[in-house]
Amino acid sequence: MSARMGHENVVMGSLAQIGRCGLFLLRILSATPRSMRHLTETVRQLWFVGGLSLTIIMTCGLFVGMVLGLQLYHVLAIFGGTSATGSVVALAVYRELGPVVTGLLFAGRAGTSITAEIGLMRATDQIAAMEMMAVDPIAYVAVPRFLAGLIAMPLLCCVFCGMSIFGGHLVAVDWLGVDNGTFWSNMTANVNVWDDVINGLIWKSLVFGAVISLIAVFQGYTTAPTSEGVAYATTRTVVASSIAILALDFVLTAFLM
Amino acid sequence: MSQRKSYAVGTGLFIVLGFAALAYLATQTTSVVNSHQGASYTVDAQFANVGQLKERAPVKVAGVRVGQVESITLEAGKDVADVKLSIDKKFNQIPTDSTAVIYTSGLLGDQYVGLQFGTAKNYLANGAQLVLTRSTQPLEEMLGKFFGAGGAADAIGGSYKVTAHFTNIGALTVGAPVKMAGVAIGSVSDVKADPVKLDATVTMSINNRYNQIPDDSAAAIFTSGLIGSQYVAIQPGGSPNSLKEGDQLVLTQSAMQLEDLIGKFLVSGSSSGSNNAGGNGNGSSNQPAGKH
Repeated sequence: MSARMGHENVVMGSLAQIGRCGLFLLRILSATPRSMRHLTETVRQLWFVGGLSLTIIMTCGLFVGMVLGLQLYHVLAIFGGTSATGSVVALAVYRELGPVVTGLLFAGRAGTSITAEIGLMRATDQIAAMEMMAVDPIAYVAVPRFLAGLIAMPLLCCVFCGMSIFGGHLVAVDWLGVDNGTFWSNMTANVNVWDDVINGLIWKSLVFGAVISLIAVFQGYTTAPTSEGVAYATTRTVVASSIAILALDFVLTAFLM
Repeated sequence: MSQRKSYAVGTGLFIVLGFAALAYLATQTTSVVNSHQGASYTVDAQFANVGQLKERAPVKVAGVRVGQVESITLEAGKDVADVKLSIDKKFNQIPTDSTAVIYTSGLLGDQYVGLQFGTAKNYLANGAQLVLTRSTQPLEEMLGKFFGAGGAADAIGGSYKVTAHFTNIGALTVGAPVKMAGVAIGSVSDVKADPVKLDATVTMSINNRYNQIPDDSAAAIFTSGLIGSQYVAIQPGGSPNSLKEGDQLVLTQSAMQLEDLIGKFLVSGSSSGSNNAGGNGNGSSNQPAGKH
């Protein structure tokens, strides 16, 4: 709909879109208690958005950790500080790369499938059918996916970080010859549970999870009921989620530091 | 039904894996010990300069962590920092006359508070004050102690300006000290490139008190320590005439590049042509500088 508006209405259109998104969040939250009847649906969605994303998250986490270990080793070697490789890999992954990269991958892997699925439900009038059968589509379709994304993101992010540490260890210790004990002791000395893991990793990934699932569900739910509309909504999910993740990342870092 | 069950199993596996990863990250890769703050008591210490000391920096005895810095505040109305140390209850046998010292871990590491035990039979209790403290040592001061650098000469009493030409002044900046026998006698007031002779003209203002410097003295650019800042050293000559306002120091020795220095040690006797912009080829007057 906003695509048909003129260019002069881009700002107003975006504002309206954000406003509708916020109102949709309120609808989701108010429907959450009602959706507790559909708990098995939430579990099923958790499997789809979380469990099936594990492969890509683990692979990417491994490679991010490996490339970090490789780069940092060579830079730190200039200063004779290769023993800090472990702690820098851990800090970089916990504070920034873990939540952000997991968020971007999650938006691409799970966000798009949520949008496409709900969008097709809309396009094929399944949502209208639910309303006619007095099944609340928000409680049955939107909330389980939203909750699943919210729960899955932090868990995926933890898996991502674990794999990154493993990848960094693989490159730095096994290939480049940093001492194993130094790698771990340096990491444990410089990484703090509250500052880095809880504040950095868990909070950020929770917020990213909420934002990505909200955008995905909202875009699917409000899509134009055509195949073109579904495609457009899917694209917008990725674009909007990516922008939201990167912008929020800065804001959250500024707040949590 | 079996379909739903397989979802449930997969989801359960996913959740367990996620939480296992979280537990692993939280316990194996972080300093649970460091952030743990059990029962503790607070001790005050006042420092003239806390340098880069931060809140939650460790407090150590004999290198072993016993607590952390709780807060750093400025003592009202005084230029001393009030540092509250929160020390673990387990370590309750710290003598009252212990000294609190701010150390740096390594050359570039973080700073921490070290406690050196005294001999008193009484132990520190909650709210006690550590009277004996030693502040952080800025690296400049430490290097200064080794290399005899003093503060800049006081400008009271006026100064006179002399110039010197160098082929290479390295990282010499305006305001760098001018020293004789390691004592600051003035400062660099101007650094310019000479458009004709294609070298650097350094103007130094020297305190009027030092008005008996022979006019055939040599000026050399030295570095205080390995990573210190550069300064101009005046090496007195033997002339009966003294330097006056506007005079030029003819014998100069340019800044030594670290590479040149090492090269000199490795290949003794190979002299690079970077010295002596004065142009009179008096190599012997440069020799003392080379041994620095």
